[in-house]
Amino acid sequence: MRSIFRRSLTIRTLLVGGVLAALLGAVFAVLVVAVREQQAAGRLALRSQQAIGAGSALETSLVNLENGVRGYVASGRERLLEPFRTARRMYPAQAERLSRLVADEPRQQAAVRQITTGINDYVALWALPLVGLADERREVAQSVLATGTGRERLDTLRSELATLFARERSVAAERERRADRRSDTAVVLGLIGMGLVALVALAMWLALRRSILRPVERVALATRAVADGDLTVHVPADREDEIGTLARSFNDMTDALNRSHQELERSNHDLEQYAQMASHDLQAPLATIDLYLRLIERRLPDASQEELVQLLAGVGGSTDRMRSLVRDLLHLARVGRGEPRRETLDTRAVLDRALENLAGPIEERGADVSAGPLPIVSGDPGQLSLLFQNLLGNAIKFSDHDAPHVSVTASIEGDEAQFAVRDNGIGIDPQHAERIFQPFQRLHGEDRYEGTGIGLAICQRIVSHHGGRIWAESTVGAGSTFRFTLPLAGESPSPPAPPTTTHDEAETSHAAAA
Amino acid sequence: MRARLATLLALGVLLALAGCGGGSADPPKGPAQSADAIRLGTKNFTEQYILGEIYAQALRAHGIPVELKSDIGSSEIVDQAMQIGSLDMYPEYTGVLLSEIAGVSRRPPSAEATFTAAQKFERTRGYDLLAMTPFSNSNALAVTHKTAMKYGLRTIGDLDRIPGGATIAAPPEFRTRFEGLVGLRSRYMLRAKVVAMPIGQQYKALNEGRVDAAAVFATDGMLEDEEYVILRDPRNLFSFQNVTPVVRTSVLKRTPGLAKAVDPVSAKLTTDAMRKMNAQVDIDGREPAAVAKEFLEREGLL
Repeated sequence: MRSIFRRSLTIRTLLVGGVLAALLGAVFAVLVVAVREQQAAGRLALRSQQAIGAGSALETSLVNLENGVRGYVASGRERLLEPFRTARRMYPAQAERLSRLVADEPRQQAAVRQITTGINDYVALWALPLVGLADERREVAQSVLATGTGRERLDTLRSELATLFARERSVAAERERRADRRSDTAVVLGLIGMGLVALVALAMWLALRRSILRPVERVALATRAVADGDLTVHVPADREDEIGTLARSFNDMTDALNRSHQELERSNHDLEQYAQMASHDLQAPLATIDLYLRLIERRLPDASQEELVQLLAGVGGSTDRMRSLVRDLLHLARVGRGEPRRETLDTRAVLDRALENLAGPIEERGADVSAGPLPIVSGDPGQLSLLFQNLLGNAIKFSDHDAPHVSVTASIEGDEAQFAVRDNGIGIDPQHAERIFQPFQRLHGEDRYEGTGIGLAICQRIVSHHGGRIWAESTVGAGSTFRFTLPLAGESPSPPAPPTTTHDEAETSHAAAA
Repeated sequence: MRARLATLLALGVLLALAGCGGGSADPPKGPAQSADAIRLGTKNFTEQYILGEIYAQALRAHGIPVELKSDIGSSEIVDQAMQIGSLDMYPEYTGVLLSEIAGVSRRPPSAEATFTAAQKFERTRGYDLLAMTPFSNSNALAVTHKTAMKYGLRTIGDLDRIPGGATIAAPPEFRTRFEGLVGLRSRYMLRAKVVAMPIGQQYKALNEGRVDAAAVFATDGMLEDEEYVILRDPRNLFSFQNVTPVVRTSVLKRTPGLAKAVDPVSAKLTTDAMRKMNAQVDIDGREPAAVAKEFLEREGLL
């Protein structure tokens, strides 16, 4: 619950909205209750008034009963009995009405029952017998009436009624007081509720500003900065909600922009270096050709045939060097372009093709090339052939032995094949073991071992283009072993690893080579 | 914080709502007066209150529902209430019944004769009498011991020795009854003055010397006191006044166990027992209901 609350701005907003709605609802409910309370109190007070009215009517009937009986017994005139008869007819309904009106007060209802019974008894056991007695023996009835208990009974009933009225009035007053108190409380509660609603609304506005508007503003400012070229800008991204996600996405975006920007700069720089070194390396044979051509021009009138042939051969040699340099540059450029072809290849066949192309040098040096069992890999046949060709060519070339020996072996390491091309050549100083894979890096003068200095760079690019790695292990004078990995056939290739060289290293290497 | 405030407010609203529950439902109506309950009335003095309680409790003990209406009034009123159907039963004195209700001025010579005559009269009107009590609460005239000594009073006729005529404290009906002023004049040629007052107050008037004599009942509890002297009645003015329950005949037929519940009770009501019970209420201030219950229990009638 706590974490959901922290993670979702939507839920927080909904929650605050819900609280606000609940508060408003509560305030409304309180006011409704207050109004209903007042209405109910009004109704009850009215009912109490009606009850007192009904009781008064009953009391009037009671007085009429007594007066009627007294008048009739005293005078014997039938006419005077009329109020008694009317009252006797009316009082049960009046008592019933009174009972209904005090129905919600058990004590009052009991009092009404007692009064009703009292009147019933008064009529049945006093007034009617007295009237009967008066009809038979009026003087007896008169003497009974003189000291009889009729008046007492009446007074008792009237005082019971008076008590009932007083209680009804106090009940009504108490109800009104209670309703007033409740409605006061309700008004106070309502006001407090309103205040709370205002406070919550203010707090919500502040919270919204703090948790949504401010962070969005920050992201907007940062975007502006990025647009103005500052790719290092970051926004705080420590929150877990949607704003946090936005900030993190923004930071990821600027990081990615920054990386690709740097990458672009570096590769631009590489290209510059590359062009510089290429033109430098192309200038040497051009200068040689120019030298030879001047010599030919100067010596042409009296040069011997033999001398001319020798000079032209010099021109030819430099031209060959330029051609192979251009060819290697072309290879290097091609290898880096696009996705390599993925074919299932028997590396044995690929090796054989390379050996065919190297037939000349092998023959010339009397080299001995042996190969162990080789795996089936996935790759570009032309590029892999070139890879083997360059590595084997180097192994044969950089050897002072009369009969250089080269072995090609392979082992399976996980989902890739690891190849090793081992020679017994001059070896490489381990401190140069990395540098040799950069273009135009030569450890030896061209007069001693010819070459363009691009071969291993091509190898490196081919291997990394196939998703593998290449490295050298060597001891000076004891030969070198070049190892590289290639994906096995059927394995999905991993993406090409980014170049491991940096701009700075390339520059120093170049200087050393120069 | 906001959530807590909201909770508090919601709680407040709930409390306010709980505080104003609607009015309670209508209270239950009182038990309807049982249609076949026997409406037992009594006249308006102590002995009658006690008798009413005794008969009512005895009837209830026999499973017969009773609605007791005590303190109704004099015999004339109670008889009228019987006639208009407001009552089913009341304890009456045989002599009063005969002289005041039946209007017979002749004095039967014995208690039994009085009872028989009264029963004969009531049967003609649709009522019947149950067995009468041993005690007879005859009317009597009492004077203080001091007055009796002063004027040498022994019989009712001696009252004419009081100069200027005797004043008698009595209930108002004494003036018009034969067993009252009427009989005093015709039987004893006595010229007396009646000071009317509610029953029970005449002893006080007697003590205070406001009157010379008082109309009393033979079973009055006050008469346990040696202070008072009852004047003899050699000319039989005051008749036999044994108590007999008067019952509407239709009710008697409708209620089989009624006589069986009432008669044994009446049989135990002697003058001594009645006077003691009257004394307990009038002098000791006990409740008639309690005194009645004690009597019934002592006599093994409950």
